[in-house]
Amino acid sequence: MARGFKRKGERYVAKLDPVERGLVVGLMEQVLELVSPDLPHPQEGGDAFDQIVAGLGGSGWGVSVSAEDQAPSTPASPGGLAERDPALERLLPSAHREDEQIAAEFRRLTEQSLRSRKAANLSTSIAALASVDEQRVELAQPEAVAMVVALTDVRLVLGERLGLRTDEDLALLEEQVSALEDDDPAVYALAVYDFLTWLQETLAHALAR
Amino acid sequence: MSIAPVEQESVSRQEDAEVDVPWITLVWNDPVNLMSYVTFVFQTYFGYSKSKAERLMMDVHVKGKAVVSTGTREKMETDTEALQGYGLWATFQKDV
Repeated sequence: MARGFKRKGERYVAKLDPVERGLVVGLMEQVLELVSPDLPHPQEGGDAFDQIVAGLGGSGWGVSVSAEDQAPSTPASPGGLAERDPALERLLPSAHREDEQIAAEFRRLTEQSLRSRKAANLSTSIAALASVDEQRVELAQPEAVAMVVALTDVRLVLGERLGLRTDEDLALLEEQVSALEDDDPAVYALAVYDFLTWLQETLAHALAR
Repeated sequence: MSIAPVEQESVSRQEDAEVDVPWITLVWNDPVNLMSYVTFVFQTYFGYSKSKAERLMMDVHVKGKAVVSTGTREKMETDTEALQGYGLWATFQKDV
């Protein structure tokens, strides 16, 4: 049974079992891949968790955050904003709402550093969760900040895949999902989203001054 | 002779006014970011007090957006990049 983050002195401590850590690490690895296009694609059939998640992807509500699992693939158009994965668009949104030229210039100047920064937060968090022996996750301040940001990026991608665009969408989705069978992938995907929300909330509160 | 400096001054003031048109950084509401986290980001990045950070967060949540900083275009670009790094939906524009 998971226990959320609490501040203990200068450390941030939570209790997560191997399945819970595997879930978070697996999703963080997928988002890491999304923000680092230069990374080699992981081999098919590697991690058991990835297979489970990938299997859920095709059913429409999957918690796989891979773009290929979400929709029929469209021809890639480098630099074309319209064809960008919507989840990537959410992580790196247009920075000017009226002037496309200013937005494009900003993207050109900042996209690589933003991708690097997000990748660094995800890598730090993955390493911190992977190095846990028992159930006790213990983070120093910089790791805790990296983790709370990385959890945001994972939830943004998952939220985009779940179709959360307005404040009302989550309640709507909860209502739809409540009518489904327990083994429906949508039930699992929403439970994962709620778990990540809870975990991030405890960490944000622990970090609050 | 005595008029010239006045004229020069008025010209330089006009130029200043053009340069000084402030730019703003906006944060837009989204259904994913947590209220506690948004407050944490405003405190951490801007160094705002807890009450100011919470007020801005509530503006984002209730009104759909909030102006979180004002200044030169370069500074607003820096702020926008940083806030996007935190996963907030930030944009910048000339103040109107």
